[in-house]
Formats: sequence, C-alpha cells, structure tokens
Amino acid sequence: MKIQTAYMDDIEINEADIIRFEHGIPGFEEERQFILLPISSDSIYQVLQSVITKELAFIVASPFIAIKDYSFELEEATVETLQINDEREVAVLGIVTLKETLASSTINLKAPIVINTTNKQAKQVILENSQFSIHQPLSNSKEEV
Amino acid sequence: MLVLSRKVGETIWIGDDVELVITEVKGDYVKVGIRAPRIIDIIRGELRNDISDANKEAVVKSIDLLKDK
Repeated sequence: MKIQTAYMDDIEINEADIIRFEHGIPGFEEERQFILLPISSDSIYQVLQSVITKELAFIVASPFIAIKDYSFELEEATVETLQINDEREVAVLGIVTLKETLASSTINLKAPIVINTTNKQAKQVILENSQFSIHQPLSNSKEEV
Repeated sequence: MLVLSRKVGETIWIGDDVELVITEVKGDYVKVGIRAPRIIDIIRGELRNDISDANKEAVVKSIDLLKDK
C-alpha cells in the first residue's frame, strides 16, 4: 500500500510491516499504525512514521547508542499485551527529540518503544521505577552530523 | 468528569475490571488502592503527562539534521 510522509517522498509499504500500537502512545492515543523507515543506508536513526497521518513521525534509535548497558525488566502486563513468547522477539527503540544539533538532542530512555517483531504489536512502556531519563543526551553517540 | 466523595475504606468500580479503594487519608495525601487486571497499566498522572509532553515535543519537524552529511 502507498503511504504519504511529510519528510520523505510517498512510499510503497508492505502491510505486513505495519507496527500496531493497540492504545497509541501517550499524547497520540488514536494513532495505532506506524511503520519504521530508514533515513539512509548507514544511519543509526530511523523514522517511526504514522501510516495514517503523514505529518506524524518520530526519529527513533536504539537506546544503546546513548547508554551501552541499558536494560529493564519487561513487566508481565507488557509480555501479555504484546504476546511475547521469547525475548529474542523483542526490539527496543527510544524516541529521539531532535534539537538544533545532534549533540544537544536527546533520547527517551524512560519510556522505550517495545516491539514484538513476530506479530508487530508494540507499546511505549513507561519505566516508572527506573533511573533512566526522558531526555538522555545523545552526546555519546558515534554518529556525527 | 465524574466526581465522587468517599470515606476511608470505601470503594469505586470502574467498568467490570477495576476497583479503587481509599485506604488512608492524611492531610493533603490520599492513599488509593487499585485492584485491576495485570494487563492494565497503572501510572501516576504526572509521569504520564511528562511522557506525553516529551512525545509531542519529539514529533519530527525536519530531518535535515540527519540527512546533511
């Protein structure tokens, strides 16, 4: 199917690749369908693009670019909701807040996006008790602008 | 918004799956007990608002910063 995006050209996507957020994400509870798009072949960043709303997209990246030993416990509730059977099915991404420069940009490690790569169900999980920051600086990241 | 007055020990049901119990009232603080299925997330409002604000701030306005090499 073809989708429109605001920051890249219209693109053809495979419906099987659509990532489904049953309850959206905080602030965007009605947005349930997203797709992950590459920015370039060698970028560590990707775009989490709404399939429905072309202006709605987030930059995402692996949390490990900011904190090498990032980890958290997956609550039973998340395992059940996303029907996770094996930890290897799980992909974790952090939403990036882009500022004027990459050095001043941040990644949300307090509320990672957890994706079951097998069934494409996903959720933004809020780690209530973790010490990780909503605005973790990216300044350790290896990629330069 | 529905507003109910409760005394300590009294309860409120939300739908068929969620029960709130007022367990303690102390000065400005109210302790609320919540019985709900594990599948339902329970979270303090401020934290949810912080995440919501951060998500709204993170909406892409331009990816030029990531594209220029």
